[in-house]
Amino acid sequence: MRLLRMFLVQTKANFVWYFRRDGEMMFWTLAMPVFFLVLFSFAFSSGPNSGSSRFLVPGIIGAQVLSSGFWGVGVMLATFREKHLLRRIYITPMPPWVFFASLVVYRMALLAAQATILITVGALVFHVRIIGNPGAILAILLLGTATFVSLGTIIGALARTTESANNIASILTVPLAFLSDAYVPIDRFPHAVSSALRMLPSTQFIDTFRDVSVYGAPLAHYGVWILMLVLWTIAGTVISARTFRWV
Amino acid sequence: MIRGDAPNSFAQRAIVVEGLVKRYGELDAVAGITFAVPCGTVFGLLGRNGAGKTTTLECCIGIGRPTAGSVRVLGLDPTKPRDLSALRPRIGVQLQATSLPEKANVREILELYAAYYGIASRAAEMAARVGLDGTLDRQIAQMSGGEQQRLALALALQHDPEVLFLDEPTAGMDAFGRRILWGEVERLRDGGKTIVLTTHYIEEAERLSDRICIVQRGRIVAEAAPGELVAHYGGDATVSITADGFAPDAALQALGVWTRTGAQWKLATRGEPGLALAAVVTHANALGAKIASLDLHRPTLEDAFIAITGETIEETG
Repeated sequence: MRLLRMFLVQTKANFVWYFRRDGEMMFWTLAMPVFFLVLFSFAFSSGPNSGSSRFLVPGIIGAQVLSSGFWGVGVMLATFREKHLLRRIYITPMPPWVFFASLVVYRMALLAAQATILITVGALVFHVRIIGNPGAILAILLLGTATFVSLGTIIGALARTTESANNIASILTVPLAFLSDAYVPIDRFPHAVSSALRMLPSTQFIDTFRDVSVYGAPLAHYGVWILMLVLWTIAGTVISARTFRWV
Repeated sequence: MIRGDAPNSFAQRAIVVEGLVKRYGELDAVAGITFAVPCGTVFGLLGRNGAGKTTTLECCIGIGRPTAGSVRVLGLDPTKPRDLSALRPRIGVQLQATSLPEKANVREILELYAAYYGIASRAAEMAARVGLDGTLDRQIAQMSGGEQQRLALALALQHDPEVLFLDEPTAGMDAFGRRILWGEVERLRDGGKTIVLTTHYIEEAERLSDRICIVQRGRIVAEAAPGELVAHYGGDATVSITADGFAPDAALQALGVWTRTGAQWKLATRGEPGLALAAVVTHANALGAKIASLDLHRPTLEDAFIAITGETIEETG
């Protein structure tokens, strides 16, 4: 009961303090992805009914999962440390897992909102239909979030300052979004390159998510990639837990 | 170094620090500190910025890990995770740099901290206690540094901890905030709480502490009750008089050491300075000497601090 209340109050606080009262954050979270979807849909295609929007809706949602982990969690943790928020929390009785769980749930709620908006705009404007099994879609989204939150936490653990965390996150997020089948199909690269890029957890997650959601592929076809994502998640969690510093 | 009379050794000791060393690279921020704080007393760590006070305090609350030595708070070892978990609900901490989310308001922060400690929120009551009544809906970003410090104190107190650690609690506070905080510390002391406070304000240490520990370059250079420190190290009281035709007689000579600078006579005395002053004035009147100036200086804790450390507490060029 006590832990549940702690978790709920902290999660609500995260949402109110870091999202609802932060106009810039709301804009980046809710409006920018839609802007990307519209921009890229017209830039890469001949018309609203071409396949590019169908590619882009899950791709942009996937890119949001990446940046949610790297920026939303990684950079946020480094900022919290730099502002001495982490050390203040550390001396309270809140167990670390409650703090991290509330952060993850908060990011998941934002991702759910982002996905809903992108899917709605995709359906209404670009006629993109989500035909996959809702359970399978949710499962791969949750797994991807877990993977990139755990990897993002490593940034938060290792970066000494907000500035360096920002730099690491930019170096990772921007190229990965372009090299992981999020905005542009990596099939356009030479075969050797695209095969190499399919080794990336970001590519594996985004491709699986896309195939399951807009092409209705069964999740079972992606067993190896799912296993890889689980392993990345475990590795990220273990490294984060070992290297995380509260002060 | 001398230490004043040891506190009652039978009293339960809330905090025991022994041979504490904290090294950062080549630098010993704390170079072997030993002290004990009896339950229900206020212990002041007084020293310049960078003397090692904050590092010592951080080792007591589990934020810093000692390089050597041991720390026990309420019998628990803050370096052991299990002990630290048991300790956290029983201590309250006001950190030096106030560290609260900018968009949070006073009520929400107090409610969140109440949840951390599993207690009912006492937001309105706590805000009033630190002089923040009527600001429950104000966001941190709109509060002054001093107001944030007072909120930080409220967060340290809300769960009614047994031991309080206050790190430079009034740094950057205005006179109003300082009065509120001092009043609250005195109230807590009277309520039997154990308090460790670091400060570089001599007045604050003297007013609030039962015992003061002077820290210099990572070491304790003196530890005693404020009055004992002044008595041991403050030096002589002085009585200065400028009066035409004044000269001390044999009775006055016996009170201490007289020196003369121009027209001014100065008596340095170990005795009660008030009596010496009365004797000097009586003698001047008997001589019919017209008193142009008269001054009495009692030794202060600041005098003691300078005598002990060989420097003033504020860094000057």
